[in-house]
Amino acid sequence: MSKENRGSITGRVLNIQRYCSHDGPGIRTTVFLKGCSLRCKWCSNPESISPKFEVAFDGPKCLGAKECGACLKDPFPQGGFYVIDGAPDDKVHINWDLASEVDAELAALCPTDAITMFGEEMTVDQVIDEVERDASFYRNTGGGITLSGGECMLQPEFSAALLEEAHSRGINTAVETAGNVPWRFMEQVLQHVDTVQHDHKITIPERHKKWCGVDNTRILENFKRAYETFPDADFIARTPLIPGVNDDEEHVRAVLDFIRPHKNVIDYELLPYMRFGMSKYQLLGELYELKDFKEPTKESIARLEAIIDEAFGRSSKDAE
Amino acid sequence: MTKKKRIAINEASGFVPGLNAVLSGAAKAAHGLDWELVGIRDGFDGLLYPERYDDGGLVAITPRLIDTIDPTGQDILGQAPRVDPFHVRQVDEDNMVQEVDLSDHLLERFKAEGIDALISVAGGRGPTILYKLHRKGLDTVCIPRSVENDVAATDVSFGFNSALSFTIDMLDRARQAARSARQIGVVEVLGSQAGWLALQSGIAVGADAVLIPEIPYRIDHLVASLKEKTAQNRPYGLVVVASGATCADNSQAEEKPSTYQASLSPLTSGDTSEHVIQQSGSAANFVANELQRHLAAETHPVVLGDWSRCGSPSAVDRQLALIYGAGAIKALNSGNTNHIVVFRPPDIEFVTLAEAINDVRTISSQRGILRIARSLGICLGGEPQ
Repeated sequence: MSKENRGSITGRVLNIQRYCSHDGPGIRTTVFLKGCSLRCKWCSNPESISPKFEVAFDGPKCLGAKECGACLKDPFPQGGFYVIDGAPDDKVHINWDLASEVDAELAALCPTDAITMFGEEMTVDQVIDEVERDASFYRNTGGGITLSGGECMLQPEFSAALLEEAHSRGINTAVETAGNVPWRFMEQVLQHVDTVQHDHKITIPERHKKWCGVDNTRILENFKRAYETFPDADFIARTPLIPGVNDDEEHVRAVLDFIRPHKNVIDYELLPYMRFGMSKYQLLGELYELKDFKEPTKESIARLEAIIDEAFGRSSKDAE
Repeated sequence: MTKKKRIAINEASGFVPGLNAVLSGAAKAAHGLDWELVGIRDGFDGLLYPERYDDGGLVAITPRLIDTIDPTGQDILGQAPRVDPFHVRQVDEDNMVQEVDLSDHLLERFKAEGIDALISVAGGRGPTILYKLHRKGLDTVCIPRSVENDVAATDVSFGFNSALSFTIDMLDRARQAARSARQIGVVEVLGSQAGWLALQSGIAVGADAVLIPEIPYRIDHLVASLKEKTAQNRPYGLVVVASGATCADNSQAEEKPSTYQASLSPLTSGDTSEHVIQQSGSAANFVANELQRHLAAETHPVVLGDWSRCGSPSAVDRQLALIYGAGAIKALNSGNTNHIVVFRPPDIEFVTLAEAINDVRTISSQRGILRIARSLGICLGGEPQ
């Protein structure tokens, strides 16, 4: 694709986060895209799940009906925001079903950003200009751009164009993917990727369906095909370690059995479960189902990491 | 010849005692007008996915059927966990999960089945969903149901009286347990925005304190009251807490601003354990822990939660449910579509959905009952705003 054509391709971007140190080699800028094809119950980025732009409401930032009340009248949708008569305060509440009609223009009318939008449409050029601001960091640390989400493969044209443009400017590229997309999407994107961080969330298909919404048959097919089709890319397997769900030896060994025959899978990382996303469920008016889940203990993480180190032929000390 | 009217009825998610009685009331009234009444199975699923049901997803609610259904038993239509045709979770042919808007398809299905209007037994978000369907052209009538009795438009929602009876029974037991163990029982009951269930049940059992969302409570106020009441010859107590009750003087009860940026990428920031969503159980646990810090007596938190929603309907709810069912047919017959049926004793009236949505029936607007509670020596944790 010509440089001119790809620069104007648009995508639905959630956020661009600079100075990331855990999303691939070196210091990186991570571009989060909207839309995901899984529904993992532990998701820490719930605002990335829907492909559509979404309204968010941060109650504590609201000035209240007496001091402001802008959202209680036109041009905001009727019934989208309300106060409870007889409540102990003048707090504004949101009716999520009616407030879904709010767009970026309306959200901008909220003086305290209590009402905001998740997601915006951006061109490849706009994103890459933002990413290139830290080019010197990338050169010094071996970093670059990482596409994350949501599922970045769900916008294959935009992702491929963005990564191709990054390459053309000498920027290292990486993606974070769960792989639950048609193979043609993966193929289109991965040809422009240096490092593929891919999730092996749960190995047993039925259990994968219970916790992530669909089984993992196609995901595993895609990963195997990707290892073979793109031998020059570095693949890093990752597991979000969820206590009681997949923090067991059986899972780790099953993943190792799957990846070890492929020499371009250079590492396997465990991402211990953290309750980072809980507050964002509130911003979206959704319930976080795993509120009672604890973070895995250091001991259990160390035990599983030792198994991985052994499989990769390194001592735990080397890994540190 | 005029076409016989065909009316559909369905239930939103979640069980409420008395649903079969609603069907009976609606069926009898419809039969009187020579209208046909059909029930949609599992919310809208019976219409959206008829292939999943042996009977095609629609049940003819005939006089013969209602003679045979048990008004106290499990409802015959069933519910779905989600009843929102605007956001239906599906897995597409590419094995990808997505939420799709099936409202247009639903309207087509109504048309294809020759259904003229929908009666929906709904609470929570249900009236808003109906309002949105009405805006797309479907004639709807809503029967409000709420075990918390927090629908402002109506004086009494059906389901409340059954929940109240159950809650009183459980509070009696909690007090017996507290008395024998010499503890302070702290029982959380349903009431996220309005404290009717907590206050009315608390009054009935003579609770020592009742904490409701309408009155943010002060721990020192509560502690002083309990110290006075739990003298040596009465070393136990009972505190009833509505799930939405909040503490006026403790920062833990306040919501904190989000750290959105910090939470976008795993492993990029430190502990964010303060991001705890307040859910069922947390109100009682918080109060019990605070009391434990200030009182010599042990405290014991108990959460009734959703248990209060289930079981057989009380005599009051059976009557109310029949009245509401018949009232919905009356609304349609009098041209009051896009309305919610309300009971304002002794009359059944109709209020537009637009008026009823977002309107919460709180206790603050009816202070008489607060005065009664105080006159009975019940501590309310603070003063009404």
